[in-house]
Amino acid sequence: MTRNRLYFFLFLALIAGYSYVFSETCMKISHPTFTPCIFKNITGIACPSCGVTRSVLLLIHGNVTFAILTNPLGLIVAAIMAITPLWMLYDVFLKRDTLHSSYLKTEKILKTPLIAMLLFILISANWAWNIHKGL
Amino acid sequence: MDSQKVDMFLMTNAKYFQAKHLNYIRERLQVADDSKWAMIQSADLKDPTTSLLVSIFAGSLGIDRFIIGDIGLGVGKLLTCGGLGIWYIVDIFLITDATKAKNMEKLQMFL
Repeated sequence: MTRNRLYFFLFLALIAGYSYVFSETCMKISHPTFTPCIFKNITGIACPSCGVTRSVLLLIHGNVTFAILTNPLGLIVAAIMAITPLWMLYDVFLKRDTLHSSYLKTEKILKTPLIAMLLFILISANWAWNIHKGL
Repeated sequence: MDSQKVDMFLMTNAKYFQAKHLNYIRERLQVADDSKWAMIQSADLKDPTTSLLVSIFAGSLGIDRFIIGDIGLGVGKLLTCGGLGIWYIVDIFLITDATKAKNMEKLQMFL
């Protein structure tokens, strides 16, 4: 993936993410059970990342413990949503390549079989926990 | 490389690449050295049809992107329930071309 494509994609994803989190705060009142998750709508059981929005919303309100108990992945998503815009602005204004190169480096690290296996087990465990919690 | 080998390679592997790249691959293979043949043969090419099927059945978990080697996008898709269902649907249409582009990247290393 080239630098400009990655940044354009991240820009769109961030806009979508922020507007979704914002709309979710308003929608909670009118449609409390709405979920866009295809997996959950088809199978009826939670997917590995169900509860991330709730977790991010709890984090915004300062409930760190409840955010982790809802879905620990929410912390990662919140961190990405907070850091990426600043990092991207830094790169775009100074015409640097730091975010793109670290993206490629992270991709390479995640391709290592041992780390991939470990993360797969963690995600599966989190998924089992999600289903157990009935998110 | 002799043209019989090149034709054989293209006949068996044409479906793994985008049509616009086939001519370029033929030209590059014809001038390539014979010693590269073994490496080119062993390039790990992914079947676009398989990734389309994976995209339909497990796309909302990002597994299609993991399979073709787009780890970053796969993680993004996994963390967002397939991009709130929108990215999942878009990817059903994009994944075959993405797979072919990735295959081209893999072959490019040997050409």
